[in-house]
Amino acid sequence: MNIELAGCVIGLRPRYPYLQTYCLDYRTDAPAAFTVTATQADIDYEREKSAREDALEGIPVRRFSDDYLETLAVYRKIAVALLDYDTLLFHGSAVAVDGTGYLFTARSGTGKSTHARLWREMFGPRAVMVNDDKPLLKLTPGGVTVYGTPWDGKHRLSTNIAVPLRAICILSRDATNHITPLTAGAAYPMLLQQAYRPDDPAAMEKTLTLLDRLAGGVALYALGCNMERSAALVAWQGMNGGKIP
Amino acid sequence: MKLKDGFMTHSAGGEHMAIATGEAAKTFHGMIRNNETADFIFRQLLTDTTEGSIVDAMLQEYDAPRERVAADVHRVVTQLREAGFLDE
Repeated sequence: MNIELAGCVIGLRPRYPYLQTYCLDYRTDAPAAFTVTATQADIDYEREKSAREDALEGIPVRRFSDDYLETLAVYRKIAVALLDYDTLLFHGSAVAVDGTGYLFTARSGTGKSTHARLWREMFGPRAVMVNDDKPLLKLTPGGVTVYGTPWDGKHRLSTNIAVPLRAICILSRDATNHITPLTAGAAYPMLLQQAYRPDDPAAMEKTLTLLDRLAGGVALYALGCNMERSAALVAWQGMNGGKIP
Repeated sequence: MKLKDGFMTHSAGGEHMAIATGEAAKTFHGMIRNNETADFIFRQLLTDTTEGSIVDAMLQEYDAPRERVAADVHRVVTQLREAGFLDE
Protein backbone atom coordinates (compact mmCIF):
# COMPACT_ATOMS: atom_id res chain seq x y z
CA MET A 1 0.00 0.00 0.00
CA ASN A 2 1.10 3.59 -0.61
CA ILE A 3 0.55 6.44 1.82
CA GLU A 4 1.13 10.17 1.47
CA LEU A 5 2.90 11.94 4.34
CA ALA A 6 4.06 15.56 4.22
CA GLY A 7 3.43 15.64 0.47
CA CYS A 8 5.60 12.59 -0.16
CA VAL A 9 4.21 9.26 -1.37
CA ILE A 10 5.75 6.32 0.51
CA GLY A 11 5.34 2.64 -0.29
CA LEU A 12 4.71 0.31 2.67
CA ARG A 13 5.05 -3.47 2.72
CA PRO A 14 3.24 -4.33 5.97
CA ARG A 15 4.13 -7.58 7.72
CA TYR A 16 1.06 -7.27 9.94
CA PRO A 17 -2.46 -6.02 9.11
CA TYR A 18 -2.27 -3.53 12.01
CA LEU A 19 0.10 -1.22 10.09
CA GLN A 20 -2.30 -1.18 7.15
CA THR A 21 -5.26 -0.26 9.38
CA TYR A 22 -3.13 2.27 11.26
CA CYS A 23 -2.32 4.18 8.04
CA LEU A 24 -5.70 3.89 6.32
CA ASP A 25 -6.52 7.62 6.38
CA TYR A 26 -3.31 8.40 4.49
CA ARG A 27 -3.69 5.86 1.70
CA THR A 28 -3.09 6.96 -1.88
CA ASP A 29 -2.91 5.34 -5.31
CA ALA A 30 -0.14 7.70 -6.47
CA PRO A 31 3.27 6.12 -7.23
CA ALA A 32 5.73 5.95 -4.32
CA ALA A 33 8.93 8.02 -4.18
CA PHE A 34 10.46 5.29 -2.01
CA THR A 35 9.40 2.16 -0.15
CA VAL A 36 9.86 1.32 3.53
CA THR A 37 9.93 -2.20 4.96
CA ALA A 38 10.45 -3.25 8.55
CA THR A 39 12.27 -6.57 8.96
CA GLN A 40 11.94 -8.84 12.01
CA ALA A 41 15.37 -7.49 13.05
CA ASP A 42 13.97 -3.92 12.92
CA ILE A 43 11.03 -5.00 15.09
CA ASP A 44 13.37 -6.69 17.58
CA TYR A 45 15.48 -3.51 17.63
CA GLU A 46 12.39 -1.50 18.65
CA ARG A 47 11.64 -3.98 21.44
CA GLU A 48 15.22 -3.84 22.76
CA LYS A 49 15.41 -0.06 22.48
CA SER A 50 12.14 0.38 24.36
CA ALA A 51 13.27 -2.05 27.08
CA ARG A 52 16.62 -0.25 27.40
CA GLU A 53 14.89 3.12 27.76
CA ASP A 54 12.44 1.77 30.35
CA ALA A 55 15.38 0.40 32.33
CA LEU A 56 17.19 3.76 32.11
CA GLU A 57 14.07 5.52 33.37
CA GLY A 58 13.76 2.98 36.18
CA ILE A 59 10.24 1.84 35.23
CA PRO A 60 9.17 -1.80 34.72
CA VAL A 61 9.96 -2.96 31.17
CA ARG A 62 6.80 -2.67 29.08
CA ARG A 63 6.00 -5.46 26.64
CA PHE A 64 4.73 -4.68 23.15
CA SER A 65 3.42 -6.86 20.37
CA ASP A 66 5.25 -7.23 17.04
CA ASP A 67 2.47 -5.56 15.09
CA TYR A 68 2.64 -2.42 17.24
CA LEU A 69 6.45 -2.40 17.13
CA GLU A 70 6.26 -2.62 13.34
CA THR A 71 4.53 0.79 13.27
CA LEU A 72 7.41 2.27 15.30
CA ALA A 73 10.08 0.68 13.10
CA VAL A 74 8.38 1.93 9.94
CA TYR A 75 8.00 5.50 11.22
CA ARG A 76 11.65 5.56 12.30
CA LYS A 77 12.69 4.65 8.74
CA ILE A 78 10.26 7.14 7.24
CA ALA A 79 11.63 9.90 9.50
CA VAL A 80 15.18 9.28 8.25
CA ALA A 81 14.12 9.10 4.58
CA LEU A 82 12.06 12.31 4.82
CA LEU A 83 15.11 14.31 5.91
CA ASP A 84 16.01 14.36 2.20
CA TYR A 85 12.66 16.07 1.61
CA ASP A 86 13.43 18.81 4.16
CA THR A 87 10.96 17.23 6.57
CA LEU A 88 11.45 16.66 10.30
CA LEU A 89 9.62 14.39 12.71
CA PHE A 90 8.92 16.40 15.84
CA HIS A 91 7.51 15.35 19.22
CA GLY A 92 4.63 17.59 20.22
CA SER A 93 0.94 18.28 19.95
CA ALA A 94 -0.08 20.32 16.88
CA VAL A 95 -3.43 22.05 16.67
CA ALA A 96 -4.82 24.33 13.95
CA VAL A 97 -7.14 27.25 14.64
CA ASP A 98 -8.77 28.93 11.64
CA GLY A 99 -6.26 27.09 9.43
CA THR A 100 -3.11 28.24 11.24
CA GLY A 101 -0.94 25.71 13.07
CA TYR A 102 0.49 25.91 16.60
CA LEU A 103 2.81 23.26 18.00
CA PHE A 104 3.13 22.59 21.73
CA THR A 105 6.19 20.75 22.88
CA ALA A 106 7.62 19.66 26.23
CA ARG A 107 8.97 16.56 27.90
CA SER A 108 6.49 13.69 28.13
CA GLY A 109 4.05 14.11 30.98
CA THR A 110 4.13 17.94 31.06
CA GLY A 111 0.66 18.30 29.57
CA LYS A 112 0.95 18.97 25.82
CA SER A 113 -2.13 16.93 25.00
CA THR A 114 -4.04 18.44 27.93
CA HIS A 115 -3.25 21.94 26.71
CA ALA A 116 -4.29 21.05 23.13
CA ARG A 117 -7.58 19.76 24.60
CA LEU A 118 -8.11 23.15 26.26
CA TRP A 119 -7.73 24.74 22.83
CA ARG A 120 -10.41 22.42 21.41
CA GLU A 121 -12.71 23.31 24.31
CA MET A 122 -12.02 27.02 23.85
CA PHE A 123 -12.30 27.20 20.05
CA GLY A 124 -14.79 24.40 19.38
CA PRO A 125 -15.01 23.51 15.67
CA ARG A 126 -12.51 26.27 14.78
CA ALA A 127 -9.81 24.04 16.30
CA VAL A 128 -8.63 20.92 14.45
CA MET A 129 -6.08 18.46 15.82
CA VAL A 130 -3.29 18.13 13.26
CA ASN A 131 -1.42 15.53 15.30
CA ASP A 132 -1.31 14.98 19.07
CA ASP A 133 2.11 13.32 19.29
CA LYS A 134 4.47 13.10 16.31
CA PRO A 135 3.62 15.51 13.48
CA LEU A 136 5.88 16.12 10.49
CA LEU A 137 7.28 19.58 9.80
CA LYS A 138 8.24 20.46 6.24
CA LEU A 139 10.63 23.36 5.78
CA THR A 140 10.22 25.46 2.64
CA PRO A 141 11.63 28.86 1.69
CA GLY A 142 8.18 30.28 2.45
CA GLY A 143 7.97 28.90 5.99
CA VAL A 144 7.12 25.73 7.90
CA THR A 145 4.15 23.48 7.20
CA VAL A 146 2.87 21.03 9.82
CA TYR A 147 1.29 17.77 8.62
CA GLY A 148 -0.96 15.23 10.24
CA THR A 149 0.31 11.63 10.30
CA PRO A 150 -1.11 8.34 11.63
CA TRP A 151 1.49 8.34 14.43
CA ASP A 152 -0.66 10.54 16.62
CA GLY A 153 -0.36 9.34 20.22
CA LYS A 154 -2.35 7.19 22.59
CA HIS A 155 -5.62 9.10 22.06
CA ARG A 156 -5.24 8.70 18.27
CA LEU A 157 -5.91 12.37 17.52
CA SER A 158 -4.92 13.59 14.08
CA THR A 159 -6.29 14.84 10.80
CA ASN A 160 -4.85 14.30 7.34
CA ILE A 161 -4.24 18.01 6.71
CA ALA A 162 -1.38 20.44 6.14
CA VAL A 163 -1.37 23.91 7.69
CA PRO A 164 1.21 26.68 7.92
CA LEU A 165 2.93 26.60 11.33
CA ARG A 166 2.83 29.96 13.10
CA ALA A 167 4.70 29.08 16.26
CA ILE A 168 6.31 26.45 18.46
CA CYS A 169 5.43 26.85 22.10
CA ILE A 170 7.48 25.20 24.85
CA LEU A 171 5.20 24.27 27.71
CA SER A 172 5.86 24.12 31.41
CA ARG A 173 3.39 23.72 34.27
CA ASP A 174 2.73 26.70 36.46
CA ALA A 175 0.07 27.98 38.86
CA THR A 176 -0.64 30.99 36.62
CA ASN A 177 -0.71 31.40 32.84
CA HIS A 178 1.93 33.48 31.07
CA ILE A 179 3.66 33.44 27.71
CA THR A 180 6.88 35.08 26.50
CA PRO A 181 8.75 35.02 23.17
CA LEU A 182 11.96 32.98 23.06
CA THR A 183 15.10 33.56 21.02
CA ALA A 184 16.29 30.74 18.76
CA GLY A 185 19.20 30.12 21.15
CA ALA A 186 16.95 29.86 24.19
CA ALA A 187 14.59 27.43 22.44
CA TYR A 188 17.21 25.40 20.60
CA PRO A 189 18.14 22.84 23.28
CA MET A 190 14.46 21.89 23.68
CA LEU A 191 13.91 21.80 19.90
CA LEU A 192 16.88 19.46 19.60
CA GLN A 193 15.54 17.20 22.34
CA GLN A 194 12.06 17.05 20.84
CA ALA A 195 13.12 16.42 17.23
CA TYR A 196 13.63 12.83 16.15
CA ARG A 197 17.37 12.25 16.54
CA PRO A 198 18.61 9.53 14.20
CA ASP A 199 21.39 7.17 15.32
CA ASP A 200 23.17 7.60 12.01
CA PRO A 201 25.63 10.55 12.14
CA ALA A 202 24.96 11.67 8.54
CA ALA A 203 21.21 11.69 9.17
CA MET A 204 21.82 13.60 12.40
CA GLU A 205 23.80 16.24 10.47
CA LYS A 206 20.80 16.74 8.17
CA THR A 207 18.52 16.97 11.20
CA LEU A 208 20.67 19.72 12.70
CA THR A 209 20.63 21.69 9.43
CA LEU A 210 16.83 21.46 9.33
CA LEU A 211 16.57 22.40 13.03
CA ASP A 212 18.64 25.53 12.38
CA ARG A 213 16.15 26.49 9.67
CA LEU A 214 13.20 25.61 11.92
CA ALA A 215 14.51 27.74 14.80
CA GLY A 216 14.89 30.68 12.42
CA GLY A 217 11.66 30.05 10.52
CA VAL A 218 8.87 30.11 13.11
CA ALA A 219 8.04 32.19 16.15
CA LEU A 220 9.11 30.56 19.43
CA TYR A 221 7.47 30.95 22.82
CA ALA A 222 7.67 29.71 26.40
CA LEU A 223 4.27 29.09 27.97
CA GLY A 224 3.79 28.54 31.68
CA CYS A 225 0.29 27.17 32.11
CA ASN A 226 -2.21 25.52 34.41
CA MET A 227 -5.09 23.28 33.35
CA GLU A 228 -7.81 25.93 33.26
CA ARG A 229 -9.38 26.98 30.00
CA SER A 230 -7.98 30.49 30.36
CA ALA A 231 -4.55 28.94 29.63
CA ALA A 232 -5.66 28.49 26.02
CA LEU A 233 -6.71 32.13 25.78
CA VAL A 234 -3.40 33.38 27.20
CA ALA A 235 -1.46 31.15 24.81
CA TRP A 236 -3.46 32.12 21.71
CA GLN A 237 -3.33 35.81 22.48
CA GLY A 238 0.39 35.68 23.22
CA MET A 239 0.98 34.19 19.77
CA ASN A 240 -1.44 36.57 18.02
CA GLY A 241 -0.32 39.95 19.24
CA GLY A 242 -2.96 40.20 21.97
CA LYS A 243 -5.92 40.09 19.56
CA ILE A 244 -9.38 38.95 20.69
CA PRO A 245 -9.92 35.43 19.29
CA MET B 1 42.12 9.81 24.66
CA LYS B 2 39.08 10.86 22.68
CA LEU B 3 35.31 10.99 22.91
CA LYS B 4 33.58 7.75 21.97
CA ASP B 5 32.66 7.48 18.30
CA GLY B 6 29.41 9.19 17.45
CA PHE B 7 29.53 12.30 19.61
CA MET B 8 28.67 15.47 17.68
CA THR B 9 28.81 19.11 18.67
CA HIS B 10 26.47 21.81 17.42
CA SER B 11 26.20 25.52 18.10
CA ALA B 12 23.13 27.61 17.34
CA GLY B 13 21.97 30.99 18.60
CA GLY B 14 24.91 31.20 21.01
CA GLU B 15 24.11 27.80 22.59
CA HIS B 16 26.68 25.00 22.48
CA MET B 17 25.32 21.48 22.56
CA ALA B 18 26.67 17.96 22.20
CA ILE B 19 24.70 14.86 21.30
CA ALA B 20 25.40 11.19 20.76
CA THR B 21 24.84 9.17 17.60
CA GLY B 22 25.95 5.68 16.56
CA GLU B 23 28.04 3.79 19.14
CA ALA B 24 27.85 6.60 21.73
CA ALA B 25 24.03 6.71 21.52
CA LYS B 26 23.82 3.16 22.93
CA THR B 27 24.70 4.43 26.38
CA PHE B 28 23.76 8.12 26.22
CA HIS B 29 20.43 9.50 24.93
CA GLY B 30 20.48 12.99 26.33
CA MET B 31 22.05 16.22 25.33
CA ILE B 32 24.98 18.06 26.87
CA ARG B 33 24.90 21.85 27.12
CA ASN B 34 28.38 23.30 27.10
CA ASN B 35 29.67 26.76 27.88
CA GLU B 36 32.20 28.15 25.41
CA THR B 37 35.20 26.67 27.21
CA ALA B 38 33.65 23.23 27.56
CA ASP B 39 32.59 23.35 23.89
CA PHE B 40 36.18 24.07 22.86
CA ILE B 41 37.45 21.13 24.94
CA PHE B 42 34.69 18.90 23.59
CA ARG B 43 35.65 19.72 20.01
CA GLN B 44 39.31 18.95 20.73
CA LEU B 45 38.28 15.55 22.07
CA LEU B 46 36.51 14.55 18.85
CA THR B 47 39.96 13.33 17.71
CA ASP B 48 42.63 11.57 19.76
CA THR B 49 44.47 14.02 22.01
CA THR B 50 45.94 14.58 25.49
CA GLU B 51 45.18 17.02 28.28
CA GLY B 52 48.45 18.80 27.51
CA SER B 53 47.58 19.22 23.81
CA ILE B 54 44.12 20.58 24.68
CA VAL B 55 45.73 23.11 27.04
CA ASP B 56 48.18 24.15 24.28
CA ALA B 57 45.30 24.57 21.79
CA MET B 58 43.32 26.64 24.28
CA LEU B 59 46.26 28.93 25.01
CA GLN B 60 46.46 29.68 21.27
CA GLU B 61 42.82 30.83 21.34
CA TYR B 62 42.46 32.39 24.76
CA ASP B 63 44.62 34.80 26.71
CA ALA B 64 44.66 33.17 30.16
CA PRO B 65 47.24 31.82 32.63
CA ARG B 66 48.33 28.26 31.81
CA GLU B 67 47.52 26.95 35.30
CA ARG B 68 43.92 28.17 35.08
CA VAL B 69 43.42 26.69 31.62
CA ALA B 70 45.00 23.41 32.75
CA ALA B 71 42.64 23.29 35.74
CA ASP B 72 39.59 23.94 33.50
CA VAL B 73 40.64 21.25 31.03
CA HIS B 74 41.29 18.76 33.81
CA ARG B 75 37.90 19.42 35.37
CA VAL B 76 35.99 18.95 32.08
CA VAL B 77 38.00 15.87 31.07
CA THR B 78 37.40 14.33 34.51
CA GLN B 79 33.64 14.91 34.18
CA LEU B 80 33.61 13.31 30.70
CA ARG B 81 35.70 10.38 31.97
CA GLU B 82 33.38 9.80 34.94
CA ALA B 83 30.36 9.90 32.61
CA GLY B 84 32.01 7.14 30.54
CA PHE B 85 32.22 9.25 27.38
CA LEU B 86 35.96 8.77 26.71
CA ASP B 87 37.97 6.06 24.97
CA GLU B 88 41.50 5.97 26.43
